[in-house]
Parts: sequence; structure tokens; C-alpha cells
Amino acid sequence: MIRYRLLLLGPLLVFLAATYLIPFLGIVRWSVTLPEPGLGQYRAALTDPLVTGVIWRTLRICATVTVISVAAAYAITLVWVRGGSVARALSELCILIPFWISVLTRAFGWLSLLSNRGLLNTWAQQLGILSEPLAMVRNEFGVVVGMVHYLIPFAVFPLASAMRAVDERVLLAARGMGAGRVRIFWQVFVPMTTGGILGAALLVFVFALGFFVTPALLGGGNSVMVAELIWLRIFQSPNWGLGGAISVILMAGIALLMLAGRRFAKGPGQ
Amino acid sequence: MNGPFQRDQVEILSERLKRGQISRRDFATGLALLLGTSAIGLRATPAAAQSKDLVFVNWGGDAGPAYDAAYGKAFLEATGITVKQDGSGPTEGAITAQVESGKPSWDVVDADPFSAEALGKKGMMEPIDYTVVDKSKFRPGFGWEYSASTYFYSYIIAYDATKFKDSPPKSMADFFDVEKFPGKRAMYKWGAGMWEAALLADGVPADKLYPLDLKRAHDKIAAFKGNVVGYWGGGAESQSLLLNGDCSMAIIWSTRAKLIEQDSGGDIGFVWNEGLIAPGAMAVVKNNPGGKDAAMQFIASSQDPAKQVVMFEMLAQGPANPAADALLPAADAKYNPVAPENFAVQIPLDMPWYETNYGPALDEFLKIISA
Amino acid sequence: MIRLKPGPVSITLAALVAVFLLMPLIAVIPVSFTPTRYLSMPSGEWSLRHYRALIENPAWAQGIWLSVRIGLLASVTATLLAAAFSLGIWMLRPAFAGAMMGLALLPMVAPPVVSALTLYFFLTSLSKVNGVIAYDTWAGVALAHAVMVAPFAVVLLSVALGQVDRRIDLAARSMGAGIGTRIFRVILPNIRFGLLTAFFLTFVLSWEEIGVTLFITSVNAVTLPRLMWMGLRDNIDPAIAAISVVLIGIVVVALLIRTIWSLRVGGRDPG
Repeated sequence: MIRYRLLLLGPLLVFLAATYLIPFLGIVRWSVTLPEPGLGQYRAALTDPLVTGVIWRTLRICATVTVISVAAAYAITLVWVRGGSVARALSELCILIPFWISVLTRAFGWLSLLSNRGLLNTWAQQLGILSEPLAMVRNEFGVVVGMVHYLIPFAVFPLASAMRAVDERVLLAARGMGAGRVRIFWQVFVPMTTGGILGAALLVFVFALGFFVTPALLGGGNSVMVAELIWLRIFQSPNWGLGGAISVILMAGIALLMLAGRRFAKGPGQ
Repeated sequence: MNGPFQRDQVEILSERLKRGQISRRDFATGLALLLGTSAIGLRATPAAAQSKDLVFVNWGGDAGPAYDAAYGKAFLEATGITVKQDGSGPTEGAITAQVESGKPSWDVVDADPFSAEALGKKGMMEPIDYTVVDKSKFRPGFGWEYSASTYFYSYIIAYDATKFKDSPPKSMADFFDVEKFPGKRAMYKWGAGMWEAALLADGVPADKLYPLDLKRAHDKIAAFKGNVVGYWGGGAESQSLLLNGDCSMAIIWSTRAKLIEQDSGGDIGFVWNEGLIAPGAMAVVKNNPGGKDAAMQFIASSQDPAKQVVMFEMLAQGPANPAADALLPAADAKYNPVAPENFAVQIPLDMPWYETNYGPALDEFLKIISA
Repeated sequence: MIRLKPGPVSITLAALVAVFLLMPLIAVIPVSFTPTRYLSMPSGEWSLRHYRALIENPAWAQGIWLSVRIGLLASVTATLLAAAFSLGIWMLRPAFAGAMMGLALLPMVAPPVVSALTLYFFLTSLSKVNGVIAYDTWAGVALAHAVMVAPFAVVLLSVALGQVDRRIDLAARSMGAGIGTRIFRVILPNIRFGLLTAFFLTFVLSWEEIGVTLFITSVNAVTLPRLMWMGLRDNIDPAIAAISVVLIGIVVVALLIRTIWSLRVGGRDPG
């Protein structure tokens, strides 16, 4: 049995340990050795107002993004899972098309739509709705829109499996007892999919935490998030020890979240 | 392991390799035998690492094709060495990472002289070999231990000419004045030039700027922050901020000014007044894969005034070699940061100040703009 | 079966979300036909110059071909490793399965910027000992992509295995089938759809990977997304709009064919 264990489980684990875990330990080492040995960089990271400010902003943006993404995903998943065949096919296309398209194309699309001379502002001005263009990208709004757009499809999958697992008979029973649509939805259906909601929220939040590409393209530089701060500390004005410490803090936060998620939702909704 | 004997053997080997008497593989095998270990030994010998390419790292955008047209192609013809363009931006940390990796893949970088000096003092850059690079082809006072002056650029004000055609902004004070010049602004994300702009706007005379009063500059910027729509990190971003109409005025690199003017059909204008002029330079990464000599030759080849004129025409880089001035078409002088009438109204950035103060100042700056 | 179908409120909300999801993709189309050098909005003049640029500039074709090669190598590697691993977890139910799963999923949940740094320093240290699998080589990028996409294959294959009825494996085992027979004759045929999906998903994820690629490439391994990034960040090149429209077109056509096919075959839940 040991032989099969090595043969089946070994390759991937050895592969990831060599390519990922050990190099990552190198970053951990910076955080406690550069510029001098000790935990000074962690103290610096947790007291430096630049770092803490960026961490708070990141948490706030990620929380906003998570709530919006999961709510939006819930609405479209409901139709995908429970709608008629045409509605299902259409909603499936709407979920899968963006899912398969690169984050770069999507960010580019948002830039074309939302910038001051973008399609939306141009139309709104031509129709006389706006007199001055409304700033919708190169700010936090743009970042949130881009991130929500990227993450909705990821939230759909755990929600869909939770909704598919809902026992139809319970819903019919509730209707049989005279409950209206609204009441069935809020008091029966939603509670039965809580696991999926938590799973989706966890997945979205964790993915959002380390976002780099979308904020870089849509944020216009004024909403620095933690991923960009790490980049800054490694590349722009180098302080590898501090960059390493922030990375380790971020990884530890994600690990805690995943552990908590396992406890609550028993795996991310799969 | 590098006893004099082995070293001598290695030299003989590499000599024969150069003369083509033995194949590269024989050479590697011979070396491995001599040094006992194959992999580590090979790395220690520049001859084995010598390749037929140089990687020139610039800041992206239109710079890549321009460098290739002006310097790369001619260098290939003259020496048979291909110069590849990497636009990923040679930031201090990226160069550090290259050197620390033990096997850099970059050769020549388009770096700020002050960061080349700072890195050079940490042993990460090759000193410029002034027997190859000709110091007399610089403007006096430009040319450093670890980097060679190759061009000039400036942080200048660009503005929406459809709005401010009749009374364009004339000073940094105008840039910071949203009453007289309504609309949003865009600034440079990595601080350089922005402190000077804020202090000039706050009434500090140009000759009293250095050492910079950072507190005063940051107060000014913090108070102004609400009017800034974006902080660009690269030239193309500054272009799109203006072209997309996201701001009515921006401080941009003068190298982008001509492009923006053309792309907007004249809707975006720019002024040299109180521009903050800075030198651009080439530097060589320590232990670069293409070899120090090839890299120095490349830098020397870039001193040719005719080639610098190409860079001026394609990227509006002010020529480092004063001999190029005479070759520039007079009509284009308005795009040239070192044309006498433009140079006179600008203020040079103080490289020694940046060398010692840039890192901490940038941290403070980022704290303020991202708060 | 009688089902409670979504009412008008749900349909309306879902339609709004659908519009939100498709809007930026549609917006790209008119931009790709503008005649100007820089990114601009349509003004009545139409031009194919950006599509011509795609054909005339060999960098695009090179980037596409490079991304295909990298994607194939990365997805085959990742799918094989993930298949063995998921089978091991499912069949052997080892102790510490949770910790092993944690390591297997690490590159997926770790922030891309941390992964990028990790892989950057890993590949540059490989550069010291060889020139094939290294920083800025196609094999090096494929290796890094395999690391990044393997967790997705693990998730997909674990889900697929979770739907396999353990009793068929038990039956095979009780009839004396060895572990090889069980895997290749019994289990793998049952998850072939999952394997195919895993291969396809990992290929696409590698094909569009940018977060890590940005850090580990320089001049030799310029993948399609890296080329697009340069166009977006550095050049604001409307050729980006043209290539985007082409990519969107491929995805839409592929999904439409799949949807029509599954509607005609009928019933089976896609996902």
C-alpha cells in the first residue's frame, strides 16, 4: 500500500513542495533575516501606517466585492439552476462566456465603457443625462466593478451545487402549507443554501485579497491594495524583509480563513 | 578552487574556444573536469556564459521599437550582437532581484542615474568603462561612476487645449490652481518631480528647492489630493489619462508630449515652464550575461549623435551628446528639453539628493496619496 | 417533475446581472474598428487597421503559438499530477489528507503576487544550473503555469471522483482486480469527462495567465497575455481590442455550439 501511496500522492506533493513550498520558505526567511534577524519587520508591518492603511483598504474593498459578487451570482444562479430551458441556456452562456475570457480583455472592456470618453459617458452626454463626464474608472469604483465582474462566475459554481442539492419536496411542502413565493424563498430556500453562500463568499474573498491585475489596470494608482504594496516593497523601493513580512501575513490570513471555512461550510461548497 | 593553475587552464581553454579550436561542449566538459563540479563551475566563467545577445531593459511602450531602431539595429550590423528589448521597467528592486538571483538575464538598463549610483555602491552595477565610453560626448556635469548619460527628459505640464487654449498654464502654481484652471489633475505615482512641483507652487524659489522641504511638499499634495484623478506609473498611462479626458491637466514626461499632441490632433498642449528636467542614463548590471565589454560597446555606440537624433525623433529624448543639437530640425526644437530656450525655463532635478533621500521620501509620498 | 420556477423578480435581477456580465465584452467590439492609433471611441469612421496589425505584426502569431505550447505542456503536466493525486486521496483515504489537500491547493488560494515572487525566485535559481527550464524560457513558464493550474485540476477531479459510486470499485476489488486494473479499467473511464474538463480548464487558465507570467518573462517568452498587457499598460494599443474581439468570438462560438448540442441531446446538467 505504501508503494501506491508514494506513486499516486507523491508526484504532485513533491512537485509542489519543490516548486512552491520551498521557494516560499525563502520569502519567509527574508521576513525574519532582512535587514537583520528578528521579528522587526512584522512589528514594522503592523505599525507602519502605510501598511496598515493599505491592509484596511484591501479588506474593505474585498468585503464590498464579496457581498456584491455573491448577491449577483445568487440571482443569476437561481435562474440557471431552476429556470426554464431557454432561461437556463441563456444564463449559462452569460456565466460561462466571461468565465472563459481573459482578465485582460475584461479590464480592457471596462476601460472602453467607463472612462471619461468611454461609451457610457459619451452616450450619457449625448442624451443630455450628464453634462460633465462621471469618473467611473481610475478609482475605487472602477476597481470594485472590475473585480466583481471577474469573480461572479467563481461564486456561481458553489452556489449552483448548493441549489441543486435543495430537495424539491421541501419547497413543494412549504407551498402546500400555504407559503407564498417570497416567503418560500427567504425562509426555506435561502437557509437551505447557506453552505453554498458561505463557500462562495469565502472563495471570492480569498481570490479578491491577492488581486493584482485588475486594480493595476482600473485603479489609476490611487487605490493601492496589498498585492501592489508587496510588489512595491520588492521592486520599486526595495525592502525585501518588509515585502516578505507582508506576504507572510497575507498568507497566514488566508490560511486562517480557509480553516475557518472548512469548519463552517465543510469545504468550499463542492 | 580557483587556484592560479586552474585559472590559467581555464584561460587557455577559453582562448581556444574563442579561436574556434574546440567546440563549446568540449569546452564545457574540460571545464567541468578542471573544476570538479560541472554546474557551479560553468557559471563562474564569463566565457561560457558569453552569449550573442544583449538584453536592454527599458520602461516599455514606444520606447522598445525606438531603441531598437536607433541603437539596436545598428549595433547588430556593426557587431553581430542582437539587442533584445524588454519593456518591463528596471526598477531598483527588479535590478536587485536580478543580481541576487546569481544569474542575471539583463545586460543594459535604462535607469535613473541616482538609482544606478545607489545600486553601484552596493556592488550591483558594473562601473562605466570610460576607456570605451567617451566622456567628452556628454554635456558637462553629466556622466557618473555607474551610469552614462544617454538622454534628457523632463516632468512638464500637459493640458487640455480645448479648455485652456487662450490662457494656457504657465507654472506649477497654475497646475495646483483649480479655480483658474478647473478640472481634474494627474500626477506621477513614484514621486520624482512631484515634490518639486508642490514646493514651486507653494512659493519656494527655484534656486532654494534643495534640500527639499518634504513636510511642506507633502502638506501641499495632501491638501490638493481631492483634485487628482489618477497617479500614473508609466508613460502610456499618462497618455491615456489625457487622451481619455480623465483629467484636464497632468504632469507628464516630456518624452510623451509630442505623442500626445499628435494623437489628440492638437487637443492636448504642453509647456516647458517650470519643467523639472532630469537625465536618463544607461547602466550595466553586474555580471551581465552578455558580458561587460559588449555592454560597454553598446553604450558607446549609443553616443553617436545621428542615432540620438533618431531617439529624439521617435521618443523626443533630449540628446545627451551636444554634437546632436546641430543635427536636429529647427522646427522640432519645441519638443526638445535641452533646446536652449526650453532648458532655460526648466529646473534640473538634483541627483545627489535623490540618491540618498528617494526611498524614504517615496514612502511618505505613497502614504499620502493612498491614504 | 413539478418545479418551482423563478418568478419575474428573480428573472429581472438575473437579467441585470447578465447585462453586467456581457456589457464590457460587447463594448470592445466597436472600439476595435476605430481608425486611430490610440484607444478611442467610435466616431462614425470605421477601419480594419487594428485587425490588419494583428496579421502583419508577427509578434501576435508568435505569442499565440508560444501560449499554445505552454498551455499544452502545463495542462498535460498539471492534469496528470492532479489525477494521480486525486485518485490517491479517493482510493487510499490516507491520514493527513486535509494537510495534503492544503498543499495541493496552495498555489490557487495564495495571492498571485506571492506566487509570482515565489516562482520568480525559483526559476532564477534554476537558471543557474540550466538554460532550458529557467527564467524567461518557454519551458520555465510552462512549469510555473503547471504549478499555478494544478490545484484547479485537483478540485475538478476530486469533484468528479466524488460522484463515482464507490461500490463499483469495491466490486472490482472483490473480484481480485489489482490497483492498476481498478484505476485504468474502472475508475478513470468513469471520470473521463472530468479528466477532459480538467485538461481543458487548465489549458485555458494557462493560456490566459498573466499575474505570474509578468514576473518570470522578459524578452524570449512573450506569451499572448504578456503581449496584451504590454499593449494595455504601455501602448494603449487598439490592436488589443481587435485580439479581444477575436478571442471573445472563439469563446462565444464554442459555447454556443456546446449549448445547442446539449439542448438537442437534452436534459443533462452541464457545469
